[in-house]
Amino acid sequence: MKNLRYLLRMLGPFLGLFLVFMLFVGLAPAAFYSLYNLKTIVTQTVIIGIGALGMTLVIISGGIDLSIGSVIALGTVVAARTLNLGGTPGTLLPLGAAAAALAVCASAGLMNGFTSAKFKIVPFIVTLGTMQIARGVAKWLGREQTVIAPPTWLNSWMEVDPTPAWLIFSPGVWLLIILTIGMTVLLKKTVFGRYVFALGSNEATARLCGIDVVKHRIIIYMLCGLFAGLAGIMQFANLTVGDPTAAQGMELDIIAAVVIGGGSLSGGEGSALGSLIGALMMAVLRNGCNVVGIPNYVQNILIGAIIIGAVAVDRYKQRMPA
Amino acid sequence: MIEAKPHISGPAPRDFFIDKAPQPLYFLEYFSFFLNERTGLMRRFWLAWLAAAAIVPVACVQHHTTTIAVIPKGTSHVFWKSVHAGAVKAAQEQGVAIVWQGPQREDDRTLQIEVVQNFISRGVSAIVLAPLDETALVRPVEAALKRGIKVVIIDSDLKSGGYSSFVATDNYAGGKMAARRLAELIGGTGNVLMMRYVEGSASTANRERGFLDGMKEFAPAAVLVSTDQYGGATAESALQAGQNLLNKYTSLAGIFCPNESSTFGMLRALETAGKAGAIKFVGFDASGPLLSGLQSGKIQGLIVQDPFKMGYVGVTTAVAALKGAAVEKRIDTGVRLITPENVGDPQIKELIAPDLKRWLAEEK
Repeated sequence: MKNLRYLLRMLGPFLGLFLVFMLFVGLAPAAFYSLYNLKTIVTQTVIIGIGALGMTLVIISGGIDLSIGSVIALGTVVAARTLNLGGTPGTLLPLGAAAAALAVCASAGLMNGFTSAKFKIVPFIVTLGTMQIARGVAKWLGREQTVIAPPTWLNSWMEVDPTPAWLIFSPGVWLLIILTIGMTVLLKKTVFGRYVFALGSNEATARLCGIDVVKHRIIIYMLCGLFAGLAGIMQFANLTVGDPTAAQGMELDIIAAVVIGGGSLSGGEGSALGSLIGALMMAVLRNGCNVVGIPNYVQNILIGAIIIGAVAVDRYKQRMPA
Repeated sequence: MIEAKPHISGPAPRDFFIDKAPQPLYFLEYFSFFLNERTGLMRRFWLAWLAAAAIVPVACVQHHTTTIAVIPKGTSHVFWKSVHAGAVKAAQEQGVAIVWQGPQREDDRTLQIEVVQNFISRGVSAIVLAPLDETALVRPVEAALKRGIKVVIIDSDLKSGGYSSFVATDNYAGGKMAARRLAELIGGTGNVLMMRYVEGSASTANRERGFLDGMKEFAPAAVLVSTDQYGGATAESALQAGQNLLNKYTSLAGIFCPNESSTFGMLRALETAGKAGAIKFVGFDASGPLLSGLQSGKIQGLIVQDPFKMGYVGVTTAVAALKGAAVEKRIDTGVRLITPENVGDPQIKELIAPDLKRWLAEEK
């Protein structure tokens, strides 16, 4: 029994990814497992993957962030608006645009953390509100339309074929890998990481142990906002325009990635690597369906079934004796 | 959690980490440990590769005809179903295979970019694309062109010159046609109102421009009392804007709206104000409610596009480009005026209610 539980928790995400991949290897034309298509899939994983890393932190701590999709859209608009400030952007202005997007998104996260922790409002409600607010601010800043920005080096971060060919994968993919390593270290090897797990497992006990709950919750949501900002910059690089309607409903894809990757919505469980696998699985699924030519409604049904399956596994884990 | 440390005053720098600073290769170490010790995945891998080896040859055989990807803006609108039907007809005549795939969430630029990328990966011969955004889709299209895939743009233009052809409605001409009809209806004089669709929509802006130019040409005596108000993206917002405008301008002879939602919103506004039929009304696009409005005398003219032809010509042009034939850079698929008099014509019927079943059922 103990072995089975272990197997489910550890193997689950990998097995799922592997099964989905093999399914399409069987169904799709040979182009599916060409290097170029693998590059395409990992590039398409970047935005949801980076968002999922931030969401992993929040979900392990027992919270949820529904605003992440809107905050990503806000990030794209802020980046595009900043790029429009100067005449011809050189090397520095794109950096400034990225910094501005990160700052705005992090403060949205700060607002989430502060409001929910300080006033003890469930994060579901707070972030549901922020979801609307961030979307509104994005539309306001974008004057209710997409913001066209001058082309800069930022745009090359999500190219399937990166410009120095020796990179093999787009810079965004490398960023995702580095962030996954960083998040793994943060969660597994730092005191802060332990606190995050402690908060999610049992907040009362964590408080009695002397953890400053409010402070740590605020930091957790701020970090999540920061990751949303990074995802927003990648989204901007992908679209090349600031789009206030971007990433609509993406928060659900991101939460699904974390859950598929073994994160538990009741807190205290989850891993960066698992969430990455979850994000990768959804990208494989979409790509595979496209390559085979499966109609959209089948895609919706498939993705839905996988999310429910993943949560069913999550519940199964909870029920089993520790 | 943290091991006791003797004689430390103030936080030690290593306090951030639980016990020791992470090794540079910590992640890899963890990963390989994960694979080998905890999951036994490595030990099982040979089975998986065996399975792959069995499936791969089967998968390789099924891919030899010319495949053209047709990517609409969405898949559930009747407009796009007509485009699909036209594309299927062209594919059958030309002996090519088409793959029909829209963005999974409608009107989502990111997902449409992904669909284009995925078809590039799959290695289709040509892509027929209705871009959701004239800027955001430029890079994926250029990536396709770089890999030798022919691209035909349909419906809305793209800010890139590399594609083979742009097959779409001449919206400016459509607006002008509406102006000619409205000028006839009002006898060339009186107050005329135009309610716009939304800011930043290129196709409707061209219709609006065509209408304004047409009014100058066909009814120079008419007074354009309001031409700068927007109905907004939904029929609901167009209804409210329409009601406000009808309250403000009480003596109107004619009204023009540039798309389906604004026309429907204005129709409802006219009905709620009790002015339907009294004011001459020309709209754009056809849908069930608009056609019944036309038949009951509340609308005097509807300009319609030809989506079936758009899908058909899009695919035939892509095939021609693949064969190396010269194709026109811009192909107009035409607009038609529907009036209460000609709405029963078989030709018009075919246009507003094409036999979708005939083409879309055969595809299965």
